[in-house]
Order: sequence, then C-alpha cells, then structure tokens
Amino acid sequence: MKKIAGIMIGLCMMFSLAGCNAITIDGEGETAESTGNGSIGLSVSTLNNPFFVSLAEGAEAAAEKEGVKLAVADASDDSAKQQNDIEDLISRNVSVLIVNPVDSDAVAPAVQNAVSQGIKVISVDRVVNGVEVDCQIASDNVAGAKMATEYLIEQIGEGAKAAELQGVPGASATIDRGAGFHEAADEALDVTASQTANFDRAEGMSVMENILQSDSSIKGVFAHNDEMALGALQAIAATGKDIKVVGFDATDDAVDAVKAGKMTATVAQKPDLMGETAIQTAIKLIAGEEVEKSLPVEVELVTKE
Amino acid sequence: MEMNKKKITDHMQDLGALIALALLVVGISIVSPEFRTGSNFLSLLRQSSINGLIAFGMTCVILTDAIDLSVGSVLALSTALCAGMISGGVPAGAAMLLALAIGTCLGAVSGLLVTKGRLQAFIATLITMTVFRGATMIFTDGKPISNLGDSFVLKLVGRGNFYRIPIPVILLLLIFAGFYFLLNKTTFGRAVYATGSNWKCAKLAGIDIHKTKITVYAISGFMSALSGLILLSRLGSAQPTLGDGYELDAIAAVALGGTSMSGGRGKIYGTFIGVLIIAVLNNGLNILGVSSYYQDVIKGLVILVAVLSDRKR
Amino acid sequence: MQIEMKGIDKSFGTNQVLKDAGFVLGDGEVHALMGENGAGKSTLMKILTGVYTKDKGTVLVDGREVNYKNPQEAEKAGIVFIHQELNVLFDLTVEENLFMGKEIKKKFGFCDQKAMRKKAEEALGRLGVRIDPGEVMSNLSVGQQQMIEICKALMVDAKVIIMDEPTAALTQSETVVLFEVIQSLRKSGVSMVYISHRMEEIFELCDRISVLRDGTYVGTRNIPETNMNEIVKLMIGREIGERYPQRDCKIGETVLKVSGLTKKGVFENVDFEVRAGEVLGVSGLMGAGRTEIMQAVFGNLPYESGRIEIDGREVQIKSPIQAMKNGIGFITEDRKVEGLMLEESIEKNIALANLPIISKNHVLDKKKERDLVQKGIEELHIRCFGPSHECNNLSGGNQQKVVFAKWVYTDPKILILDEPTRGVDIGAKKEIYNIINDLAAKGVAVIMVSSELPEVLGMSDRVMVVREGLVRGIVHKEEANQENIMTLATGGTI
Repeated sequence: MKKIAGIMIGLCMMFSLAGCNAITIDGEGETAESTGNGSIGLSVSTLNNPFFVSLAEGAEAAAEKEGVKLAVADASDDSAKQQNDIEDLISRNVSVLIVNPVDSDAVAPAVQNAVSQGIKVISVDRVVNGVEVDCQIASDNVAGAKMATEYLIEQIGEGAKAAELQGVPGASATIDRGAGFHEAADEALDVTASQTANFDRAEGMSVMENILQSDSSIKGVFAHNDEMALGALQAIAATGKDIKVVGFDATDDAVDAVKAGKMTATVAQKPDLMGETAIQTAIKLIAGEEVEKSLPVEVELVTKE
Repeated sequence: MEMNKKKITDHMQDLGALIALALLVVGISIVSPEFRTGSNFLSLLRQSSINGLIAFGMTCVILTDAIDLSVGSVLALSTALCAGMISGGVPAGAAMLLALAIGTCLGAVSGLLVTKGRLQAFIATLITMTVFRGATMIFTDGKPISNLGDSFVLKLVGRGNFYRIPIPVILLLLIFAGFYFLLNKTTFGRAVYATGSNWKCAKLAGIDIHKTKITVYAISGFMSALSGLILLSRLGSAQPTLGDGYELDAIAAVALGGTSMSGGRGKIYGTFIGVLIIAVLNNGLNILGVSSYYQDVIKGLVILVAVLSDRKR
Repeated sequence: MQIEMKGIDKSFGTNQVLKDAGFVLGDGEVHALMGENGAGKSTLMKILTGVYTKDKGTVLVDGREVNYKNPQEAEKAGIVFIHQELNVLFDLTVEENLFMGKEIKKKFGFCDQKAMRKKAEEALGRLGVRIDPGEVMSNLSVGQQQMIEICKALMVDAKVIIMDEPTAALTQSETVVLFEVIQSLRKSGVSMVYISHRMEEIFELCDRISVLRDGTYVGTRNIPETNMNEIVKLMIGREIGERYPQRDCKIGETVLKVSGLTKKGVFENVDFEVRAGEVLGVSGLMGAGRTEIMQAVFGNLPYESGRIEIDGREVQIKSPIQAMKNGIGFITEDRKVEGLMLEESIEKNIALANLPIISKNHVLDKKKERDLVQKGIEELHIRCFGPSHECNNLSGGNQQKVVFAKWVYTDPKILILDEPTRGVDIGAKKEIYNIINDLAAKGVAVIMVSSELPEVLGMSDRVMVVREGLVRGIVHKEEANQENIMTLATGGTI
C-alpha cells in the first residue's frame, strides 16, 4: 500500500515539475516545413458505394498516368477509422492528403494534424469544417439538386405530393442537396415526408416502404443519391403505383434504370472527374504552384432522352 | 511430473500470442519502412488505446463467464451526453466526469439485468446495446454534435502528449497496471475468477455473486465511457454511430490473449497482447496498402487461429 | 469365460499407473476388485476392454491371448464394462437405448420395431425386471437405468460384466434388486467383476476378492476364508485399527436450534438441535430431503417458515454469506460440482472461503495465504505436489480433504457435512473421520448427512432419521442400530 502511494506521489510531482513544456496537443504548435516524399494519400469515406469507388478509380487512373504514387485508405464510413487512416497516411510521409470526409466536423482534428505537419490538403466532395484546406473540390450540389427537382415538378405537376429521401445527416452533400431541393420544392410541391436513408440502397427501400405505408398517394420522390433512389424504386414496384423518382449521382445502375424508363432522372456528378481533378491539383501543389481555393465540378441532368 | 508439463504448455500458450505479435511486428517492419518509424509506433499505440481500454473492461466481464455486447452503445451514449452538456455550457471537466459516471451506471444496468433479471448475458447486453444506441439516436437526432469549444482538458485526453508520449497511451498503461493489481492482488479479483470458474462453488463459499457481476459490468461501462471521451477529444465531435462494432474488436482481443470464453481462466496481460496484435494488424495492413476488404478477412483468420490454439487446452 | 491378466505395465507419460499388475476371473463367479483410489483398478479393466493399450504383459481369454483395440471388439468377445457414469441417452426410450447402434433391420434399412420390442421384453424378463420398453429413460430411476445397462450387456450375450461402483447411486431397495439380478446371472454362468469401496456389500455378494495397491497386484482371497481387516491391510499395506476412530469429547451447550422449518413439498416442521462437540448423524433414504434441509439452514435454499437460533439468539439466514457470518460452514455432497473449482489449484480453492482472513482492506496478503494453505496441506495430509497442484488431478479422497481444508480454518461454530466420504477410499476415509473428530474435540457442532449406515452408526452421538421431508426420530448412539434406523427411514416406528 505504502509503495503504491509513494509511486503515485512521485508521478504527480513529475507531472507538475515538468510543467507545460512536457505537454503538447496534437495539431497545435508551429507548422512544420513542407515534408513528404512526393506521394499522395487519399482517404476516402467508403468503398462500399459505387460513387466513391468511381472517385477512387478516377484518382488511381490519373495517378498512374502521371506516374505519381497514390495510397488509398477506406474509412468504411467510420469517423474514428478515418482519423486512424489519415494518421497512417501521414506516417507514410505523403506530400499531399486528399480527403473525402465521412463527417465534415469529425475529420477536422486529423486534417489539422496534417496541416500542422506541412502536408497540403485537398477536400473532395464534402468539405472540412473549421480547417482551411488548400483546395476544395466538389460538385455543385445545390445547383444540381435544384435542377433535378425542377425536372421532377415538370413531371408530376405543381402542388403534387412528394417525398424526400435524405442522405447521411450532417454530410455536406446532404445539406447542399437538401437545400437545392427545398429551394425548388417548397413553393411548388407538397412535401409530406422527409426521412434519412443514409445514402444506402437497402435503407432507401425500407424507408420508402414505410412512407408508402403511411401515405400511398405520393406522386414523386427526390432522393439525395441514386442508391437510395434505386432502393425506393424497389419499394414502389411492389405496390405497382406510378411514382416518379429522381436520384443524384448517375451511377451505372441508375443510368440503366433511367434509360429503361423506371427512374425519371438523375444528376450526373462526375466522381471520376473529381478524382482526376484532385490528382492534378495535388501534382500542382507538390510542384509548388498556386491553385484555386475552390474548384466546382460540373453536373449534368440525365433523363431518358 | 504431470504438473510441470502442464505449466510449460500453459506458458507456451501465453507465449504463443506474444510470439505471434513479435512475428507480425518484425514481418511488417521488414516489408515496410514506414511502419517501423518511431512516430508510427506511437501512432499505433495511440490507436490501440481505444480498443485496449474497452478490452480491459471486457476481460473482467468474460472472466465471470459473461459477455458485454453493449460497450459500443455505452460509448456512444455517454459521449453524446457529454458533448451535449459541453455544447450546452457545462464546463468540459465536469461534463467528462459526469460522462464517466453515466457510463458506469449504464454498465450496471446490464449487470442488473443479468443478476436480478436472470437474463443470459448475451441477451441482456444485446438488449442494452440496442436500447442505448436508440437512445443515442434520439438524443442526437441522428446528427453529430460539434461546437465543443476549446477546453484544454477535453483536448488533453485524446490529443495531448507528455514528452511526445500520447496521453491515451499513458492512460492505457496506468489503467493496465490498475487492472493487473485488481485482478491478481485483491479479494475482488479472486471473486471474479471464482465466479467464472464455478459460480455454485463460489456462492457456497461466501462470495457475493451478484455484487461481483454487477461490478464487472459497471467497470466495463466506465471503460467504454473513458474510451469514448478519448474519441470525443480526438474527433472534436460526437457521432451518433460512434463505437458501432467495437464490441467485436474488444472480444477478439480478449480471445487472442488466451482468456477462456467460459470464464475462470485468463490473464490481463494476455488481453494487452491481443490488443496490440489487432492494432498492429489494423495499422500495418493500412500502411502496406492492403485493401480494406482483405483486411477483414485477414483479421478473421488471425482470430480463428488464436481461438483454435486456445481449444487445445 | 476365464480371464487371466498378468505382468501388465501401463504408464501415462511419466506417470506409471500399473506395474506388474494382474487379475484372474473364473466361470460364473462374482469377483470383487478392490484398492485405494489411484491403485489402478479402472485402468486395469479399461485395458481388458480395449479402452487403453497396455505397455507390457499378457491378457488371456479362455487360454488364448487377446488384444482388444476398442470396447466394441471386447463386446463382441462378450466382455462388457458398465461405468459409474452410465452411458444413457436420456431423451430416448428404453428400447432405443438398448438397440442403439445395433438396430434390427428389415429390407431397405427400415427398423424392425416388432422384432426389437420382442427381444427387449425377453431380455428384461430374463432379468426379472418390469420396465416398459417404450418408457423414456429420463423417467426411470437411477437403479432402473442401471438395470437397462445390464440388459444391454445381456443382449450382446455378455459372458463377463464389469461394474464400477454400481450401488453408489442406488436406494436400498434398488440395491436388493441388483443383488438378486447378479445372483441369477451368476447361476446362468455369467461372471462379474465388482469394483467398489463398500466392504459390507462385497462380503455379502462376492465369491472372491482381489486387491491392487499402487498399481501392483497384491493378492486374492476367498471371501469365506477372510475378513475385512485383512483386506484393508492388503489394500493399504498396514493395519488400520478401528475403522471408526474413537472420540471422547465433552459435549457442551446447544449451538444450533432449528424449529418448524418448512418448505412445502420438500420438508415440513423440521425440529432439531446440535450441541458443541457433538456429531449429529442424519440418516434416511435417498431423496428424503436431508440435503435440502441442510441447504436451507445454510441459506442456499429459501424456505417458507421456521426459526433458526444460534447460541440462543434467533438469526435470519437468507444467503450463504449470512450463514458464514453466523459461523456455519457447509461441505456439499457433490465436490466436483459445488465443492471445488476443479481447474484451479489447491491454493486457490482453500483460499476461497478464507478471503477475509488472508487479506487486509481487500488486498491479498500472499504470505498469509501461503501459510494457511501449507498448514492445510500438512494438517490434513493432502497428498499432492504442492499448493499449485490442480484439483482435477487429485484422487477423490484428496479432493475431499481440500474441501475440508477450505472450511476448517474459517473457524466454524457449526459444520454441516453432506456425504463426506462418498467416493473416497478406505485409507482417506479414516483420515477424514479423524479430521471430524478433531473438529468435535475443538467444540465444533458437526452435522453429518450420510447414506452409509455403518458410518453414521460409527461416528454419531445421535442419529436423526428423515423420511419424505419429515423428522421421524432422533436416536441416541447407545440405542441406535441398523434395524431401528432403517425402520424409521422406511416409515415404521420403533
């Protein structure tokens, strides 16, 4: 007993003697000089979603073409894992970090860490809140969503009942696409249901089932991404009703569905173009060139025509 | 004679996990120069602290022939409540202490279900796992809680370093020492092992089985909450989905360390080695650039091998 | 069938269990095989029936050398081993158990129910046992289950049946039936090897008796020409003196008084007292409720009404912890299930009930623990390699002594013993009786529940007889004998 007490007192004394100099906080303190071995690290939110797979593939293709080393880490939609991934990329001495956040707030400390070590950072598709990055690359989600919603209104008529399937709460894509939808729909449609299906196809289906259960007179659905839209289509097909569905992302499955007339429209982001743009920007940063702070990537409405 | 042979095989089995760890570290170090840097090792240790703290608590529960599936949800709920309090104006230090108390109580709930409620541990903690996760979703409205301000104490827990050693690592080591003492040198430790080895015998020898079980669950809850605070500090926000699936890594670490799933046998340092093995796998495979799909398969295989060699006992 | 085993050696790793061991069996005889626990009796029989392979030696059956590789081969030759833990499939019927693996089949592999039913009834009839072949095994009593095992042996035309502790779990009446069956089998030419510790039974039933000691064959005697003392001397290599050591203590004041203890359907209105330095034997048939009464006194079984007084004061005992606080200790009847943590060391087991003594402020004092355990090992003569010897690897007698060591140092006022020498060999039994006497001499009030009548009569100051949850009588040792105890136990009056 006495021995333990003695050790505890000793430790406390050590701590207080050491004073503030001994204690440092990650990510604070002076910024180091540019480091890195010329390679690029990409922390993608998940590879379980075709959109981000395209993004990663676009980046990989571009990197190979330009002859730059690229390391890809998959965060499996877990903020804590993403933080570990970014730390590991820093360990691998990357010069530029391309980050596609799972959650725009939660990723901030890890990105701050990278910045304080002199690594250049590019955010892709979603923003990083609270930390200034070297470049933000994203689709113009607001404009794209507004465009898609306006098309939906054309199809189902003004004042018709509609439902909104939202993405992962808090993600910038969710916020932006929701904003674009409501800009167009609040005046022109009767939005009776707004639920999240977390950008996931299976959840999209079950949430849609529940919405139809409570109100089957809906005429149209806007989903923040194609996966949820496709899931909703399954639910709708089971009821046999004619409900117009508009998605976002223009993944292969969705484009097929639109061509087949099952889905009304989708918005083509160009995730591969995003990945490519990110790599090219990264190369510029490595070379020490100036880049734009924000690079919006265009989107395109995809309909049957 | 027989007894000596047994001791040697026992030691070999304990050593087995250590040898596996050594092989992994050496092997990956040879292949990857980035793995074997000092800063990466520190990073690895820091990453292992989350699972490590939870796994220590889980070890106690499993030693009593029980299990705690609710650790991830307890982590999430106590962290969300903490974040809510901080962003609502409560001083960070007080909120963190309250969160630890909440975690302890949440753990005790599982303990009560198992003892007074007479539910099987698996079922009871499956229930608390689901209910606590749901409560987290309700409290956070499904959205992350950010805006936690700039409290030094909050930042220290997860992002602080003491002479370059991450604070979470120091916490991990101190708490390991605490558990070692608790399990090996106190009457409570004996009660834990006895309850798992033969609860009928323990009860008839005057051990308070209910108190022991409720206490280990409370400890597990406390460790989950502590782990959550470290994550809160690292991420600067509380995610509603935090901790999802963390029970699996914790149980895997305990199993890798040689603790028997039916209680009564196992050492806390075994769990420590198990935690390190998993951390090395996670970190090493990441560094080697192994696709995350393969990572899960590899992890599963390693755990299978560990459990099979446990069965030889 | 005549069997001769000679020069048998068998080791497990470095542990030599049998050295130059042997055994002979003639036609139509009941031959007892005795020896202390660990003497090698089961090992020898397992070598005969092919469960183990011998390292050296010969086994002759009817003059021919044999070497069975597994029990099925031995069975084909007509040698069957009925183990102490019966090989019974509880959820299936008698018929299904009898024919497991040996079903009579019709064309296309369908079972011939009628033929099987007929054969089963025949075999049961041969035994003179009336059991319905369609009855589910779990509904039968242990004695009846044992009959089915014997029936199984007969159906494969067994010429030799080896029985290991057959009466350990039987009631008195079931034992009588078993003995009748054994006699009739003997008359029809079947030989039996009877492994048991119960001397009285052996002397009643068997023709010859062979003794093993420390893995070696020591000798064979014809029962009519020998006596128990000689056998015991062969078994342990020395005189044992009185089987039940004398005790000459002062009996003091009443320490425990139980009044009106009732639990509906289990026991009713139980009244008894025990005084310091006294041994109260508790006799009765199996299932009479003795264990339940004692578990209630120890706080491990809730009861509905009644009063417990210790040293004249009423106490509430609702849990073992409370019982221990009041100075009561309890040695259960099943040491492997409730008495020991089998996979733990002797040290951890002894320490378990003594934690308050070997710790300060909940922190263990390793030195105090070691000293306590060492004391226990020495004073109780526990034969082991040391405190860290795993209890699984101890003989039954030594395991029981570990349980005693666990309780003796808690300084109990009252110590309840439930079947303290079950499954324990003669030598260790005597040592345990000495321990009990020492406790009584120290002033402990001892309650001894036992189904071995000679033991109860030899050790008790008074005997309480229980039948179907009621106390039928309490008899002083001067008046107690086998007849009147049995009379009370079976519902009569004296």
